[in-house]
Amino acid sequence: MDVRVADLTLDRGDRRVLDVDALDFPAGSVTAVFGPNGSGKTSLLRCVAGLERMRGNVTIGGQPVRRGDPRVALAFQESVFLHDTVRANLSLGLALRDIHRIEREGRIAQMAEECGLAAVLDRPAASLSAGEAQRANLARTLALAAPVTLLDEPLSGFDRIGRVRMLEEIPALLATHATTAIIVTHDREEAFRLADRLVLLVGGRVVAAGPAGPLYRSPPDADTARLLGYTVIRLGGRTIGFAPGTLRRGPGEPGFPVVVTREVDMGNHRHLIGRFGRGQGAVTIELRLDPDEPGAVPGEELLVHPTRWTEFGAGTGAS
Amino acid sequence: MGELAAGLGEAFRLLLSGDAEVYAIAGRTLLISAAATALSLAIGCPAGLALARGRFRGRTLLLSFVHAGMGMPPVVVGLVLWLLITRSGPLGGLGLAYTPTAMIAAQFLIATPLVIGFTAASVQALPPLLPDLLATLGAGRLRSLWLLLREARLGMLAAVMAGFGAVVSEVGAAMTVGGNLRGSTRVLTTAIVTATGRGDLSQAAALGIILLALAFTVTFLLTRLQQRRTD
Repeated sequence: MDVRVADLTLDRGDRRVLDVDALDFPAGSVTAVFGPNGSGKTSLLRCVAGLERMRGNVTIGGQPVRRGDPRVALAFQESVFLHDTVRANLSLGLALRDIHRIEREGRIAQMAEECGLAAVLDRPAASLSAGEAQRANLARTLALAAPVTLLDEPLSGFDRIGRVRMLEEIPALLATHATTAIIVTHDREEAFRLADRLVLLVGGRVVAAGPAGPLYRSPPDADTARLLGYTVIRLGGRTIGFAPGTLRRGPGEPGFPVVVTREVDMGNHRHLIGRFGRGQGAVTIELRLDPDEPGAVPGEELLVHPTRWTEFGAGTGAS
Repeated sequence: MGELAAGLGEAFRLLLSGDAEVYAIAGRTLLISAAATALSLAIGCPAGLALARGRFRGRTLLLSFVHAGMGMPPVVVGLVLWLLITRSGPLGGLGLAYTPTAMIAAQFLIATPLVIGFTAASVQALPPLLPDLLATLGAGRLRSLWLLLREARLGMLAAVMAGFGAVVSEVGAAMTVGGNLRGSTRVLTTAIVTATGRGDLSQAAALGIILLALAFTVTFLLTRLQQRRTD
């Protein structure tokens, strides 16, 4: 079912945390809601789950959402469990949705298998490691097979190895057990790896939304570009943005000088970190060095140029 | 010390000889205090939940009254209740004076603030996200409240123990509204007072030991329930 948000505002005290005119999540799509900390991502997810006293409309399949809406399954970022076994915790939501015991057991066994929880099913939920807890949290949500699945930072709590694994497993799990999915993340890589659509949220407002690839290749404005990881600089009267890894050493158009601050050995490659501009307007620039490329000493001035860039209209933020 | 040792001997003798009156008093004590505790749980749990989870004006003030009530002197509670139910009082027509019902009512008033206070504290110690989680899993209002109380069961059993412990051991209210009538409102605490007044110290000590044993047994059973490993 599709999720539609219209004229949504949410206030906490006298602070407006969400102000969304219109936002659609098409049926069957997986959307990442992406933005900096405090941009209202979790609040938006809670509104879609009907947990907030908001103004405006959130509808699922045309019907307004309400608190405890059975069409929604939500995995909170924090893995909260009842004082009981993992199995009992996975079972609770299914039981509350009146799913028969035999089917319940089948689904739990399947989810446990797919989420790597089979060995811990009969352990107390409180004894799980952070990674196991997050997987159990995910399994509990996906077991509900709700028309709308909401995941809040599903990769928090994983170590690096677990995270790499989950980046592959979550899309597969969503394909099997979810239809329309919305994932909140503050990490750009996660957003692109997990979802096919992006919603960029800044200060409670949607600054861009659409299919992920095209949005990345041609960001509509400088703020969006920055969120997506672009470096944005003012060059003469122009505002130019370029994606990571597109910068090369040497003169070119549009080229600019960078004062090297240090060289970083990343192991498999080296980075030159430098500064463009002065004072308040200074921008940190990263230049990836090829293995046999000579480095540079701090203080040295280099000419660099992006191989691909996007030029934005005058003033930041204007599209 | 001699009295205590004699009391211990007397207690065993009374218990083993199956002294009908002692058993009747102990049974009545258990019945009255258990009834009062059960009633205070029925009212105190929902009230504690509401105070813990509610967002309304005067919540803090109300909670302060509850906390103050947790230390209310039983004899004062008994006195106020007595003024209500005495023949000339506003509820005098009910004929409650000197009845076990009046004692249950008094003990209910003593235990309820304890139950409310412990319930509120233990519910507030739960993860703040829990109500939202239960809602998204599909629990309705009543079901959520029940699951929340179950999650707070450590504190809830502490509430039961505090409530029962307070009423089973109090004497002021039981004496004031019950009157210590032999065969109807005499409970262990008031019987101890009577025996002491009579100078029958070994009997008083025996009753005291029975009271302690009773309180301990109930508390022990509740503690076992509380500490049963579920996680």
